Amino acid sequence: MSGEYNPSPEDNPSFLARRNRFQTALVKFIGERTPKCREVGRILSQSMDSKLSLITRIKLRLHYLICAWCQRYDKQLHELRKFTSSVPRHLDDFSVDTLSPSAKERMKEALGEDRRE
Amino acid sequence: MPSPKIEGATRAATVTFDPERWVDEHGDCLYRYALFRVRRPEIAEDLVQETFFTAVRTSGCFRGKSSERSWLCGILKNKICDHFRTLGREISFTDLEFLDDELSNKFVSQGFWNHERGPLEWKPEAEVVMQRAEFWETLRNCLSKLPERVADVFMLREIEELETEQICRDLNISPNNLWVMLHRARMALRECLEINWFKDPRQGGE
Repeated sequence: MSGEYNPSPEDNPSFLARRNRFQTALVKFIGERTPKCREVGRILSQSMDSKLSLITRIKLRLHYLICAWCQRYDKQLHELRKFTSSVPRHLDDFSVDTLSPSAKERMKEALGEDRRE
Repeated sequence: MPSPKIEGATRAATVTFDPERWVDEHGDCLYRYALFRVRRPEIAEDLVQETFFTAVRTSGCFRGKSSERSWLCGILKNKICDHFRTLGREISFTDLEFLDDELSNKFVSQGFWNHERGPLEWKPEAEVVMQRAEFWETLRNCLSKLPERVADVFMLREIEELETEQICRDLNISPNNLWVMLHRARMALRECLEINWFKDPRQGGE
């Protein structure tokens, strides 16, 4: 297989794989007309920050038919966003840093002065 | 001296302003967030103090709809964004090259996944994973492996939720550089979580 361009190896979990001649032809057809995975990765990252054009979204959908991995990648980018945005709520799970008592005193004093002004 | 959280929450509902109490009840929590984002204790302290000052001045805007703590956190978020804005300068190029080698073997020459190294299915589900304290430590470690400037940009986008245009403007980064940085940060973090959490048999299942 080396050299030949094959988006779909033997144990491919995708909807369309090379299970028979018809599928093989279809996989090739779609593979040639949709962005390759490396590019899909870039596009999916962009999709997290801006809206993709309709045509790009259609191409992605078609690409997912032959590539379960890219679809997984898409899902995981969304999960990564959920995880990252939740970090501030879970800081207590890994951080024991605290303000020193003297820093707290300083702050209270400064706040007191600020209010008296 | 952890502050009594529940007591703090109910008292907040009565909307009495006592900035000195804020220091005791929310100071550590705000400090942790600030320190996590700016890494330097003295800067984190300053940001927390500025947060309290701003809170005193704008306390009229606080209607008690949100909890006192999330109101203060919101102010601190803005302070953090301001901090990075004043720091803003062009990213050095070495930061952008950090992933090239690791990425090249993810894809075969034609640009498709090298399938043995393609994304695995993540199990268990995100909701289950998020219950585990150790997970957050793993994520923190993964974030700390990113080059600092890439991590800063990524977290401004994902934690402080700034729009990309805003980040470009504030940090003086070209849109293209920003896309590249965010893409590589996501790729690296996904990979790091997969290796250090989802592939780790100790974390698999319950």
